Amino acid sequence: MLDMSAVHKSRGAGSQRYSLVIPRLQLRGGEQLAVVGPSGCGKSTLLDLLALVLAPDQAGRFDFSPANAPLDIAKLWRGSQQGTLAELRSRHLGYVLQTGGLLGFLDVRGNIELSRKLLGLKDDGSVMRLAGQLDIADQLDKKPADLSVGQRQRVSCARALAHAPRLLLADEPTAALDPLNAERVMQLLVAQAREHGVCCVVATHDEALARASGLQVRRISCRRDADGGVTATLGEAC
Amino acid sequence: MRGALVASLAWQDYRNDAWLSACSVLALVAVVAPLLVLFGLKFGLVSSLTERLQNDPATREIIPLGGGRFSAEFVEQLSQRGDVAFALPRTRQIAATADLSSDASVVTVEMIPTSANDPLFDHLPVPQGLDQVVLSQTAAEKLGAKPGDWLQASFGRQVAGRSEAQRTRVQVLHVLPLEAFARDGLFAPLALLEAAEDYRDGRAVPAFGWPGDAVGVSGQRVYPAFRLYARNLGDVEPLRQYFAGQNLLVSTQAQTIAQVQSLSRNLSIVFWIIAGLALAGAFAAIFAGALAAVERKRRELSVLRLLGVSTAALLLFVVLQALYSATFAALLSAGLYGLAQSGLNHLFAQMPGEYASHLLVRHYALALVAVLGVSAVAAACGGWRVARIQACEGIRDV
Repeated sequence: MLDMSAVHKSRGAGSQRYSLVIPRLQLRGGEQLAVVGPSGCGKSTLLDLLALVLAPDQAGRFDFSPANAPLDIAKLWRGSQQGTLAELRSRHLGYVLQTGGLLGFLDVRGNIELSRKLLGLKDDGSVMRLAGQLDIADQLDKKPADLSVGQRQRVSCARALAHAPRLLLADEPTAALDPLNAERVMQLLVAQAREHGVCCVVATHDEALARASGLQVRRISCRRDADGGVTATLGEAC
Repeated sequence: MRGALVASLAWQDYRNDAWLSACSVLALVAVVAPLLVLFGLKFGLVSSLTERLQNDPATREIIPLGGGRFSAEFVEQLSQRGDVAFALPRTRQIAATADLSSDASVVTVEMIPTSANDPLFDHLPVPQGLDQVVLSQTAAEKLGAKPGDWLQASFGRQVAGRSEAQRTRVQVLHVLPLEAFARDGLFAPLALLEAAEDYRDGRAVPAFGWPGDAVGVSGQRVYPAFRLYARNLGDVEPLRQYFAGQNLLVSTQAQTIAQVQSLSRNLSIVFWIIAGLALAGAFAAIFAGALAAVERKRRELSVLRLLGVSTAALLLFVVLQALYSATFAALLSAGLYGLAQSGLNHLFAQMPGEYASHLLVRHYALALVAVLGVSAVAAACGGWRVARIQACEGIRDV
């Protein structure tokens, strides 16, 4: 579903330069992957590239195949086809953000429904089903401000899955949670992604939790180059 | 579908920020309500003055000064002009008097010719034939006459130092209100005035069987004056200029009309200066409000952007919220203006049908369109910064 090779992205110059190199990343439908590494190593940059919100500097291959035919994402970026990229994001990607990224003016039900409504999809019962599975069914009429951080993360998971995306991206989804809640949220997230057959990429610094949740783990390693800049490389599964 | 969803999201956010929304509504009301009151006063006062002039036919009367020599055809041609509402020849003033007598008294009245569409009659029936007249209120009071009464009209003359008179009976068709004519007057068809003039000039009046010199067949009647009313206030000055071009001196109320029109113009200028400054201030406030809103809602907007909402839809989100405020402000301002209007009209009691402060439906509609338009443009200018919000900001949400 996702096929990347020789993808480069750099920011800054000289000793302030930071480069991310993705030698190869292939994701099949339903595959679960955790990208781990310390803060600042480039997990978020990788997630930005996968989320189609950041253009790569170079890409040997960057294909996204939500349906049968692969789409050349690098070509879409070169052609500045923001509308197509936005459409792909809206239709095929789901996001779980660090503190939920929920809209404070909508209640829980409104937040979960949003990803479907943006696509013009009618409610097929998935909102209630997800709310039940994520144990937030009794919170549907509350505003996000009235929820605990853990509950917000579960609402965020529901929103990310409600429109049945092909790829779920989660950026440090458990960073703001206590260990007990972190484990619960991660397991629910992975279980739901697995149940819905969604390919899932989780950026986290908690490798143990990722492994405990059954995620395939790939580390990002950093090295300082001769010019003082840093190059981070996505490693193979370990 | 996307538009309706954005409108719904904008409305829910607008409601969620109820206090800030209320502040933006009140800020607009502070501009719009005084403007409505100001314009209502300007329009009410000027309309009342203009209507008063318009409703008083005397304002539209054009009176020829000095003696003239006008044929019936000339006056008929004048009456055919588009800017003339009514024109009728007058006989000599000195010959146009009559002594009316009832059982109670005798009153000498001025005779004024009348015919259909006489502006002084205001849709009342006009006298027909030689035996119907309309009396002014003062004359009717002195004679104790009422509609339907029969009076005796006497026309006197001096012949070789000897006083002579002829009499005829006339019926009072109705009595004109005091506002229409304040002197002792008798309104009759031109034929009756011509009969009186002929009798006084020593000519025979076959219609009444009064003896005298035979009227020449070739002699076309010459009238010294005419009654003429312009169709509208705006027609008075062009008619004055027309008569001046004909070397005919006339007396008009053109100056009074010009004063009201000048007052209207000057008040309009004052209003539009104030309105322009106020709207510019409102524009700046809404612009700044939209800028602040984009910064304040940056997190929500970036999440929406991440979820695939386009720049245009995000801009619509900001503009719609400004339009919600504008709509509430317009409604609240109209309500406040309504209170102010009833208070002002109660305080400055006018004649029935006149108002110190008054607005028409089209004024409300114009105010609504102006408020919505200024709000939409200002919010769009201020909200354009949503284009700078990147989707990746949504991912960085912490």
